[in-house]
Amino acid sequence: MNRIFHLLKKEFLVISRDVHAVAVLFVMPMAFILIMSLAMQDLFSTQSPVKIPLLVSDRDGGKPAAALLKALRGNASFEVKDIPATWTDAEAAAALNDADAKFVVLIEDHFSAAVRDRKPRAGKKPLVVLVNPVVGTQMQLIVQSVLANALGKVRIEAMTKEMSPLLALARIDPRTFRQPSEAHIEMRFVTRGEQRFRAPNAVQQSVPAWLVFSMFFIVIPISNTFISERSQGTLQRLRSIRLSRGILLLGKMLPYFFINLIQVALMLLVGMYLVPALGGSALTLGDSPAGLALIAAAVSFSSIALALLIAVVARTTEQATTLGGLLNIVFAAAGGVMIPKFVMPAVMQKVAELSPMSWGLEGFLDILLRNGGVRDVLPECLALAAFGAVMLLLTAVILKKQFEGSVSP
Amino acid sequence: MTIRVDHLFKSYGANLVLDDVSLDFRAGAITGLLGPNGAGKTTLVSILMGIIAKDRGRVLIDGLDLDRDRDRIQARASIVPQSFAFYPTLTTRENLEYFGALYGFKGRRLETRMDAAIDAGSLQSFLGKRAAELSGGMKRRLNLAIGLLNEPAILYLDEPTVGVDAQSRSYLLERIDRINRERGTTILYASHYMEEIEQISQDIAIIDAGRIILHDRKEDILARRGAVTLTLDRLPGTLKEALERVAGLRVEAETLVLDRNEDLNRTLAGLFDLLARHGAEVRALNWGNGHLEALFLELTERTLRDE
Repeated sequence: MNRIFHLLKKEFLVISRDVHAVAVLFVMPMAFILIMSLAMQDLFSTQSPVKIPLLVSDRDGGKPAAALLKALRGNASFEVKDIPATWTDAEAAAALNDADAKFVVLIEDHFSAAVRDRKPRAGKKPLVVLVNPVVGTQMQLIVQSVLANALGKVRIEAMTKEMSPLLALARIDPRTFRQPSEAHIEMRFVTRGEQRFRAPNAVQQSVPAWLVFSMFFIVIPISNTFISERSQGTLQRLRSIRLSRGILLLGKMLPYFFINLIQVALMLLVGMYLVPALGGSALTLGDSPAGLALIAAAVSFSSIALALLIAVVARTTEQATTLGGLLNIVFAAAGGVMIPKFVMPAVMQKVAELSPMSWGLEGFLDILLRNGGVRDVLPECLALAAFGAVMLLLTAVILKKQFEGSVSP
Repeated sequence: MTIRVDHLFKSYGANLVLDDVSLDFRAGAITGLLGPNGAGKTTLVSILMGIIAKDRGRVLIDGLDLDRDRDRIQARASIVPQSFAFYPTLTTRENLEYFGALYGFKGRRLETRMDAAIDAGSLQSFLGKRAAELSGGMKRRLNLAIGLLNEPAILYLDEPTVGVDAQSRSYLLERIDRINRERGTTILYASHYMEEIEQISQDIAIIDAGRIILHDRKEDILARRGAVTLTLDRLPGTLKEALERVAGLRVEAETLVLDRNEDLNRTLAGLFDLLARHGAEVRALNWGNGHLEALFLELTERTLRDE
């Protein structure tokens, strides 16, 4: 126990005095969580969503066009600005770039007439949308859908007006047709336990992702200290002190396991207290501290085991930093840390399932977002434990070869 | 403690590093292991310490077989590696405490061992200083002090003075000599500095390309080689002409250099007679201190600092 205590103490002292390690392990993930939570809060917020800038040219001037404009202005997702009706298509297109807008809606001069038509007219469409090429497909679809919805309402309004005598004869209340379609839709967030948040917010989404990412970044300090020990001869000295491979590996794993747990606690505290203090939403922890501890331990075990393998395989700290950094970025990009898995195509979602970061992320989301428990994170924990065990086994075999001198140490 | 090495072989892949090494290190003596870089010194020391495995051969330390009793052997031995084998961001005291604890010491016993190591390395004034901030000489002293924490009966020193100034080197050599005299520690001192080996060793082993090419007591080795030099007060032209006819003699300015050979005594008698006849006096006589480098060159056709 005395040996383990001093191994732990030494590792904590070395880490606490290594500015770069502290930056990588604590400062970088804190900054990520703060920036991503605050930057993306509007994306998940129901209170103050990001408004899509929309330039509108009303070349029609009729009542249906006015009704369409009113519908667009009433939509919280848009920030509508008028441009003169006299502008040509080219001038409107130029405004798209000059005003840094994403869309220009041209309500053509035959819009009112077209609304009342029973069949679509040939030739130029009554509603033309100029799109800034920087706009993603998803946003295009949102705008198209909102415009179609608004146009539908305008057409129903026009038709009910035209058909009002007939409706009166049939004793049908025209307001029946005017009910907003949103009134028939309810959005429910499904969680495994009792829901603790009104809706998923940016901090609830970004804390698990960057937490897993930062835990895996332990690869760099572990491999660097291990390689330094090897190149400085400290490992040779430790071997001469009759320190077994098991104690050596345990001496690396235990301190960094605690460091990982400190990371988890710190990142959760940042989400709970610092992000809201800076104007973001507060993180809620869910109902399963045991589940949280279990997934944190599993992620820690697998990341440390991977780090040890890199440490024994790499010959220099530069090699370890490059290899470790690269693997982390690939695992993060593929595993849904940088890009949420739900926006990935089906093939990439399958690929994402191969990343241990994805397993860790799903586990944390199970607890923090879906309010799950121990049983819910067991599959992810087992996968992470198996991954860690394989990494550790490989590390032990390679280390044995190095110690026995079958390869040059 | 005696160290017996029998037919030791070690290779890294296709590179044969130790090639049939056999020798006995005397108990209680400082043996200088002399050889150029890459000769196999570090590998030999590492195998004797049980850090890396040998391919073939046998190592017996005080009757204990390294293959069977590695733990017992390691408990009685210590190594001071060539590199600074400690943690630069820890202080001197923290490093000593850490390694002392890993040796299994704790409490009062750990403090006692640390105090002895601090004293041996004269580290009292630098205990709170981080190792990275120590001078090269102080780092070497810390490296040595850590190696003394378990009060080893056998001490392996691998190039323990590399990169230090003359003052620190002298200090380290004096300390190592004192450890040997006061504690009777068997010391294997690996180095490519022949001056250090000459100064500190009682026995010398020369290793080259993985083979021990010479192993004997220092006096015996040095007696085998070493030119005799006589420096004259003046060298008249007539004497110079006469000297050119003496076999085995070279004239370098006013110094006469005689090769050691079987005729040395007879040559010297004739030489003193010749000098007396020409009225020349001997200002200084150097009976030869042994030229290890010359000996090494002769044995290997390479210099000690060859890679």
